[in-house]
Amino acid sequence: MVNATKGLFISCDIPMAQFIINLNASMPASQKFIIHVLDSTHFFVQPDVAGMIRSAISEFRDQNSYEKPS
Amino acid sequence: MPQVKIIAKNFMDMVASLPAIKLDMLYRNQFICEAILRSLPPLAKKYVLQMLYIDVPITSKSLQEWVIADGSSKHKVAIDRLIQLRVLEVIDRKKETAYKLNSTFQTNLRKHLINGGILPREPMPSNVTARLPTLEELDAYAHGQWECFLLQLISSGQAERSTSFSSSMMRIFQRGLLRQREKEVPRLTESGFQFLLMDTNAQLWYVIREYISNSEEQGVDQADLIAFLLELSFHTTGEAYSLNTLTDDQRAMIKDLADLGLVKLQQGRKESWFIPTKLATNLSVSLTDSSLRKQGFVVVETNFRLYAYSSSKLHCEILRLFSRVEYQLPNLIVGAITKESLYNAFENGITAEQIITFLQQNAHPRVAEKTPAVPENVTDQIRLWETDLNRVEMTPAHCYDEFPSRDVFEAASDFARVHCGLLWEDPKKMRMVVKAEIHMLMREHLRGNK
Repeated sequence: MVNATKGLFISCDIPMAQFIINLNASMPASQKFIIHVLDSTHFFVQPDVAGMIRSAISEFRDQNSYEKPS
Repeated sequence: MPQVKIIAKNFMDMVASLPAIKLDMLYRNQFICEAILRSLPPLAKKYVLQMLYIDVPITSKSLQEWVIADGSSKHKVAIDRLIQLRVLEVIDRKKETAYKLNSTFQTNLRKHLINGGILPREPMPSNVTARLPTLEELDAYAHGQWECFLLQLISSGQAERSTSFSSSMMRIFQRGLLRQREKEVPRLTESGFQFLLMDTNAQLWYVIREYISNSEEQGVDQADLIAFLLELSFHTTGEAYSLNTLTDDQRAMIKDLADLGLVKLQQGRKESWFIPTKLATNLSVSLTDSSLRKQGFVVVETNFRLYAYSSSKLHCEILRLFSRVEYQLPNLIVGAITKESLYNAFENGITAEQIITFLQQNAHPRVAEKTPAVPENVTDQIRLWETDLNRVEMTPAHCYDEFPSRDVFEAASDFARVHCGLLWEDPKKMRMVVKAEIHMLMREHLRGNK
């Protein structure tokens, strides 16, 4: 019998993929969101984590830049 | 409230959406016929001219033979446009469709070709109008009016003098461009930002479009307004035309147009008159041409610094949208394009392409001579920073696995591919990911296969 799971398909570059894997690993077991790691640039994750991943990425990006105070 | 979309150059779409009776009424005016002709795509223009002196309907088949096979898509676009504008009338006969030019349009365009256009009003003799402004003065006036209007539009507090538009009118222009939360300063919306980066003609058409659709609500006929505007664009820049030649509605409208800088009103001893500016006469031209080159003012250096030779507050506000303004001298604004300032812009819905086009279109004459006008490393970096924001793509989907046999798996993956929903598959593990939209279809397909 075919089994269907609802979720979110993520497609990104390799460094971002590593970031997402790392993010997943840092979560407590109950909040792990990756369902399948499809290949090095594709994931299948829980349907409701889009916002969480995006904000984690933008936080990461902000840490990497410095704005001269005006 | 209807969603206001910002698209430049879509005035003709608005004309096309008028009801048939109004369009026919519009075509009674020769100038509108010419303006419509100007706005058509090249191939459609050719068709109109070719059919101008043909009185019998032409079958769609013979029309198709006018173009080579490669041009069929352009042919279709042209024909669709003509039908939409009711320039072409469709006549259905037993099996074939035939087209015929709209008879009012046809007669008027013929007359226009033979006699040339005669405006409903003559310029006033120079002994009545004591001293007319020179073209430069007029340009400066039009520019000043327009800028003042824009400043008032984006931040009501900043304009030095206010236009005579009532605040309710202003609010109509602002709807869609500004968003006001309770007890907060109004903020520009995504479309508001895009509006500011458009060139003047596109902005003008947007405002005019809002103006027209608003006056419809107040009981003024839309077709009349459009007719008057298009007619106005055929007047000569810098000549004076008497206000007495206008109808009451038109006289009410011309005051608003003066606020926008389309015309300048002047008063003599007895009579008053209006002088169309470049903004007005460019109206119908701008429907096809990309805008005329304005005098640019921005210099971008390879070190991401930005020098804008301008004293205008509006320019400063626009630059602030995507760069970090560092200091301002009386005639110079100095800023820097930084990653953070650009991220701000991207968050507000401005795209990298829009910023780059803005910088290129407004390049200072000194750098505009060079190609590229904006250093390549800067444009590339702007694009790179934008793509950096979209490194992760997410799609709602369903994942299917545990297929009973390879045949079922392959049938299912073919089925998903046919419906353009296959995102990813792994034949070895017999697993695939399919867009959420076609999940129901997939389920039925899998059930049917059992």
